[in-house]
Amino acid sequence: MRITQYLTSKLKNFSNLPKEYIERSKKQVYWKTPREINYLPRTVERKRFRYTTNRSWTGQFRQQNMPATMRKKVFVEPVEDWSFFRGDRIEVLVGKDKGKQGLITQVIPERNWVIVEGINWHYRRVGADKEFPGITIKSEAPLHVTKDIRLADPSDLQGTEFEWRFTEEGEKVRVSLRSGRIIPIPETNNQTHDYKTPNAYIEREKDTPAAVVSEITFQPKLSTFEMDIMEEMDIKEERTPAKSYWY
Amino acid sequence: MSTRWYPIYQRGNPQLRVFLPNFWMKLVRPTEDQPANVVTFAVSTEMTKHDVKNYLEKIYKVPVVDVRTRIALGETNRDLTYGYVTKKDDVKLAYVTMPKTEAFTFPDLFASKGEKQEKDEKSMDESKEGFRRFLDRNKKRPGTPGWFSI
Amino acid sequence: MSSTLIKCFNLAKTVGTVTFKSLLTTSQNQLPAWRPAVVGGVLKCGLHTTQCARQERKEPLMEFFDNPKHWSENEVKVGRAWKLDELRIKSNKDLHQLWYILLKERNMLYTMEHECNDKMEIFPNPERIDKVKISMENLETVVRERNKAYHLLETGETGERPQKLVHNAFGLRCTYRSCEHVLPPFMNTKWIKSRHLGFGGRAVHKFLLQYREKLYNAKRKAKNRSRNEVMMILRRNPNFDLELLKRKFPDVEIDKLRHSDKARGHFVPKVDG
Repeated sequence: MRITQYLTSKLKNFSNLPKEYIERSKKQVYWKTPREINYLPRTVERKRFRYTTNRSWTGQFRQQNMPATMRKKVFVEPVEDWSFFRGDRIEVLVGKDKGKQGLITQVIPERNWVIVEGINWHYRRVGADKEFPGITIKSEAPLHVTKDIRLADPSDLQGTEFEWRFTEEGEKVRVSLRSGRIIPIPETNNQTHDYKTPNAYIEREKDTPAAVVSEITFQPKLSTFEMDIMEEMDIKEERTPAKSYWY
Repeated sequence: MSTRWYPIYQRGNPQLRVFLPNFWMKLVRPTEDQPANVVTFAVSTEMTKHDVKNYLEKIYKVPVVDVRTRIALGETNRDLTYGYVTKKDDVKLAYVTMPKTEAFTFPDLFASKGEKQEKDEKSMDESKEGFRRFLDRNKKRPGTPGWFSI
Repeated sequence: MSSTLIKCFNLAKTVGTVTFKSLLTTSQNQLPAWRPAVVGGVLKCGLHTTQCARQERKEPLMEFFDNPKHWSENEVKVGRAWKLDELRIKSNKDLHQLWYILLKERNMLYTMEHECNDKMEIFPNPERIDKVKISMENLETVVRERNKAYHLLETGETGERPQKLVHNAFGLRCTYRSCEHVLPPFMNTKWIKSRHLGFGGRAVHKFLLQYREKLYNAKRKAKNRSRNEVMMILRRNPNFDLELLKRKFPDVEIDKLRHSDKARGHFVPKVDG
């Protein structure tokens, strides 16, 4: 999914991490020119990453994208509007769980993937050695949004095709093509790693209380920031700067 | 004008005042033994001794007697995969002397962290142990499933 | 409190911003314990006072470290960064205080990160550094905005460092950012001598030719890449929505590509009618 699409889509950032951090943690710079006046800013860094179910700020992602590992390019089909959100009830169209329904727990837009609760289990064995067969860990494998799933109509809980349409208020909604009912975007979509609803957020010790944040203390005044602070701190400055020329 | 612009010096100009300093400073663990009243800082390379002194005195209210600085050369090493020679940024180290009455020892931040990690490793060992016990129990009746006996 | 929250939300809706983080969660903010005279400010949070005061008396250098109860933790949760709109409604004094709070927080995070790296430990929640950085950038933007407004009102100029688009010695367009000088330009012979704003000659001509070729090649390669991408998508999904593809890749002739060999998968093509 491209960046413009990501910005216009209704998908929320579950990790609640700043963009800058996500970019920074992903970065693999092998070499860069010194940041001096006599150098042009040039970097040699990894451009292509393999996105998987491991999110890009985790150690596992780094493990999968170690330097000198080049994996075959994955062609991700463009999607018009991202239409599958956390908490959506979907029907599986392929695989061993064909026909089953489940709720989306995780969305991976880099690969057009969703992970559905209890659907498409796969098993892997870890920690095996000569004496010990290992422990089996099961986890859900991702499903492709364009091929593997379709939304369930909330009115009759049957799978359905849908379309993005506008309501009279100008809001963009998903409409079931079979029954014509609006498929609302679930509240779960707004949840983040840090809180379920904004109201349920627990304030930490270093947080500014919401009331303080929304308080208006700005008074328009004919002075620059520096002048205002100097007045505040009782710094008197009588001298005037000598004339200088900008060119 | 950006708050970062440094005006040129002309005699008789108003005093230069920095309202929003952008200097960073970090307290680092000293590599050598040093007196209790000396603290090592890594600071922005642009900072002077006076900057360091003012920064600590005004912002952190730390009494400062003397500041000595040096610029430590950043490490160079060769990238193992691609062979590029890379160099880390130079960093300015400031050795700040406080009055004799003050003392600072760098705290041990991870004293209680070791116990937590041990716990995680335990669960794997436990399941290994459980499997071994299961095999021992079933030595004389191979092929019996785990649920068979009590 | 809840009414202000609701207001906040309604505002966000009307503005149509994509709010990745909650509006009411808040950012790192400690009391500026280093200057008790200014503490009465708005950014005060009562819970925190005592602790900071205690720290100040005993060990001012401990402000370079996180709260000792976070030392052994693997996750330290904090709110989000300050937004531009939240900073715009704050007075200069508040912004000034907040700057030092953020500065100290950043120093603390740098110290902790350095120590964690040294001891091969995991630094919990490294995004805190980015959050502080974003807050500081936003704060500076707001200060700059205010100063700009003052200068525009008073002098009719922005008061920013003047810059203009010029051709450099290689004949490339670049921004020339002016510098402050004591002498006026016509008296400053040294400066006049140092400026080679004109360009020309065979070498520059040749350079420009090759430079443009390089730019053209970059463009051409980008086009080829998107063409290839379209073909690969079509090969993998023969029934893909062509209209959508045309919208996503406007510079690719999709109708032409559709029948190319590369765009065909390993299957028997369907013959129309």
